[in-house]
Amino acid sequence: MRRAAVIGVGVTKFGKHDRTSAELFAEAARDALADAELPPSAVQALYYGNVVGGETEKQLHTGPQAASVLGIPTVPTTRFEAACASSHAAFRHAVMEVAAGLSDVVLVGGAERVLNVSTAEATEYFAYASDAVWEQSVGLTFPGVFALIARAHMTKHGTTEEQMAHVAVKNHRHGALNPKAQFQKEITLEEVLASAYVADPLKLYDCCPFTDGGAAVVLVSEEIARRRRRAIWVLGSAAASDSMLMHDKRDLARVPATERAAAAAYRQAGLGPENVDVVELHDCFTIAEIVATEGLGLFEPGSGGIAAEKGWTSLGGKVPVNTSGGLKAKGHPIGATGAAQIVEVVTQLRGEAGPRQVEGARIGLTHTLGGNTATVLVSLFGRD
Amino acid sequence: MTEPLITLKNFFERARDGALTGVRCGKCGALAIPPKEFCESCHQRAWEPVALSGQGTIASYTIIRVAPARHAAEAPYAVAVVKLKEGVSLLGRIVDMPLDKLQVGLPVKFRPLVSKDQTTVGFGPA
Repeated sequence: MRRAAVIGVGVTKFGKHDRTSAELFAEAARDALADAELPPSAVQALYYGNVVGGETEKQLHTGPQAASVLGIPTVPTTRFEAACASSHAAFRHAVMEVAAGLSDVVLVGGAERVLNVSTAEATEYFAYASDAVWEQSVGLTFPGVFALIARAHMTKHGTTEEQMAHVAVKNHRHGALNPKAQFQKEITLEEVLASAYVADPLKLYDCCPFTDGGAAVVLVSEEIARRRRRAIWVLGSAAASDSMLMHDKRDLARVPATERAAAAAYRQAGLGPENVDVVELHDCFTIAEIVATEGLGLFEPGSGGIAAEKGWTSLGGKVPVNTSGGLKAKGHPIGATGAAQIVEVVTQLRGEAGPRQVEGARIGLTHTLGGNTATVLVSLFGRD
Repeated sequence: MTEPLITLKNFFERARDGALTGVRCGKCGALAIPPKEFCESCHQRAWEPVALSGQGTIASYTIIRVAPARHAAEAPYAVAVVKLKEGVSLLGRIVDMPLDKLQVGLPVKFRPLVSKDQTTVGFGPA
């Protein structure tokens, strides 16, 4: 198997846009190619993530559409749908294509447009990633899924709403340092705790926003990467799945797919959680960050809430988590999120993150979760 | 031998009449909510139908206040994962119970929620 590296990254401003998802992806991809110092003609394959295009844009076949808008219509293109983990799933497959020697230059990315529909419509479309017969039918929403996890975590480990609020405050503090973030505004613990319940015990400020945006990365073979000074190596990339249905999960306070994907990625890289300097993880809800920090082995099971409260995951803490602002403050354009997390970690490992730079970061991790915790991808990155 | 033991349609037809049906693996004894082709514990296909009592306790719950478009008129409403007496869990809508009195561990009992031609899982007071 050949090594693969990221040599170019691009991401749009996250927030509301009056452009299609294909246009948003094309902007991010253009920036990623410029960053990689490669022309569009160098791209041999496009691996693309998009989730609710069929609903919000009445658009299927969004992969070739994105390639056409970018100006590379003849490049073999595959669209991935793995709910919120779509473009991270795309990335893992791109790594396999490069590692297998089939291509030397693969473009990976994703985009989503949802702010052109109402909150109630977007809530319904996102719920399509839970089971239609068992879950959508009784009105379960995505905040609802994570509220069930939060209540179970609170019951089992004593995690508090205040500890969850610390995650939101921290990620907004980080997001304020990221010019691409949807929310570049700090918030207080009191504001989070006083916000309205969306799905008890989760409040508005425990939830990531709906977001339009696109992200892209250029993945290349070792031979090409060796000619670049700022190449960031892919040290591992693993996927894990778990039961689709909430009622089939044996312990609602855990996300076993995170534990399995992390174990596989650490094994590929020959690393452990103690080696990780910077983390972008899937904080679609504050409780999701707490459970992910445990599942990735950064903290003991049940102590993720304490880690958030103590500031261990903040810039300057033991292991900075979501320096970009995370899904919470940077925003969550679901098809683009996995790629956008890689953009941030690559930026950190290059030492180019400006005021949010983690000094001396050498190893970075990205973690993306899809659906009712049924899909998780974990990738590890390192600089020379 | 090749036809599914209990399809979703069968499950909800029986549920409409108030009967919950699980499946038990004849090889390893694992209990599951259908439909399942193979047992996820031992990967055998030796299911036997088993009647579930419908009695259980709340394992976790939430109160949905921002609802999907098609449930918007029903909000706020509670959804819970209920651990049934037999050991399997089932997700359902909580009905006829005050939202502010819900708690983990509270006993509840299955109740079919029938609207037009659709049956969904509900739980009411034990």
